[in-house]
Amino acid sequence: MRDNTIAGLAAIGVLILWEALTYAFQIPELMLPAPSVIAGEFAGESGRLILANTWPTAVQTVSGFAAAALLGIVVATAMVYSDIVRETLYPYLVAFQVIPKIALAPLFVLWLGIGFWSRFAFATFMSFFPIVIALAAGLKDARPEAVRMCAAFGGTKAQIFSQIRFPYAVGYLFAGLKIGATMSIIGVVIGEFITADRGLGYLILWATSRSDTPLVMAAIVVLCALGLGIYGLVVLAERMVNRVYAGG
Amino acid sequence: MSGSVAQLAEASEPYLAVESVQKVYNAGTSHELEAVSDVSFGVPSGQFLSILGPSGCGKSTLLMMAGGLEQPTRGAVRIAGAPVTGPRRSTGIMFQDPTLLPWKTVLENVLFPIRIQRLPLKDYHQRAHELLAMVGLGDFANKKPHQLSGGMKQRAAICRALITDPDLLLMDEPFSALDALTRDELNDALLDIWQRTRKTGIFITHSIREAVFLSDRVIVMDRRPSRIVDDIPIPFPRPRSMAIQDSKEFVDICAHLRGKIAHA
Repeated sequence: MRDNTIAGLAAIGVLILWEALTYAFQIPELMLPAPSVIAGEFAGESGRLILANTWPTAVQTVSGFAAAALLGIVVATAMVYSDIVRETLYPYLVAFQVIPKIALAPLFVLWLGIGFWSRFAFATFMSFFPIVIALAAGLKDARPEAVRMCAAFGGTKAQIFSQIRFPYAVGYLFAGLKIGATMSIIGVVIGEFITADRGLGYLILWATSRSDTPLVMAAIVVLCALGLGIYGLVVLAERMVNRVYAGG
Repeated sequence: MSGSVAQLAEASEPYLAVESVQKVYNAGTSHELEAVSDVSFGVPSGQFLSILGPSGCGKSTLLMMAGGLEQPTRGAVRIAGAPVTGPRRSTGIMFQDPTLLPWKTVLENVLFPIRIQRLPLKDYHQRAHELLAMVGLGDFANKKPHQLSGGMKQRAAICRALITDPDLLLMDEPFSALDALTRDELNDALLDIWQRTRKTGIFITHSIREAVFLSDRVIVMDRRPSRIVDDIPIPFPRPRSMAIQDSKEFVDICAHLRGKIAHA
């Protein structure tokens, strides 16, 4: 709680300093608008513009992330239980972690068109890898002593998964999900940068082309809020899952 | 001394029988390792047997085979006449590591075998509380494992092993990671529990004193080839107290076993 207070005060301090400096040095709005000017963007016509463009970005981010989470859990589970699946997939998952996936974004547009599906697929693609790799590591890392204990009391394979492996991997899973959530929003914005007629990524490009820096900044603020919101949902889900397991 | 063991074994049909058991890991490869070679012994019902030996003598492997977690390469382990082919419900087991699940409370950990065996949990609450009270954890039922000391965790693991009221209790060096004082306390607690429940028990240890103090009988194993080098009864009547450890007889038995291990 105290940490939050200090961080909050620091943020307010930075905003005040930022505001003061833009006035003191007469920094042009085009280069760096003052926080108050950016805040003003949320009212009136530009406010409506921001809201209209937030919705598609949010829907694509959340759906891409949800698909990645589902796919990641299924693939990681399959990798723990099937040697063939693991030996086939694992080297490629690692390889894909290494290559700059953003470079593949134009291909998704080529394959899936300029609509929702290309951005959805690209967000899923971006967000899938950290989730599957984290969860596979977690499921494999479950303490062998605990697995043996469960087996010794007559635990079936399914029980060893649900009672031991999965609860031990929950921490890993959510670490992967937190990265995956960020990756999903990056994937959607990249997609919107390439081809889109709406969304916050599109709005940023459009406002930049019109030298409307306050609107660019306002859109970035909304993206941050969106990212934090999804992150918050993941944290909330983590608490709920932990409470379920804590309840035995 | 070995003569009296033979009589003891003949006197009652062994409840647990280890019959010419051999265990080879990675058979047929360059990493082939013979963990147990041709070991036979029987444990009568209600007997507390300790298996003593240096690390690598295959004593833990033997226990895992009795628990159904490993299969012998040759021979068989039988419990009440039936060969052990997998974990059985009426075997309780304790490991060197307490392996309490950190997200569960002490009570839920004790009830874990009940959950795994899909028995009605609420029928066992009373028993779980009684067991916890018996090992001095009555006030810790709703604590999480991280709030417990090492000794307390192992006490909870004793309760977990006993929750199904098993007829056989297997213990794989359960106290070896504890400090000497805590270990004495837990030996005392285990003796007390044994006094009340009288199950058949197999206790793996490399502490001579612990083996003699707890057991009705001690088997000494050697490593490579892993075989039984001694098998002696421990004559002290029960209930036992710490005081017997200072008696000449106790010290003599320990010295005898130490000689066996040294020459093993």
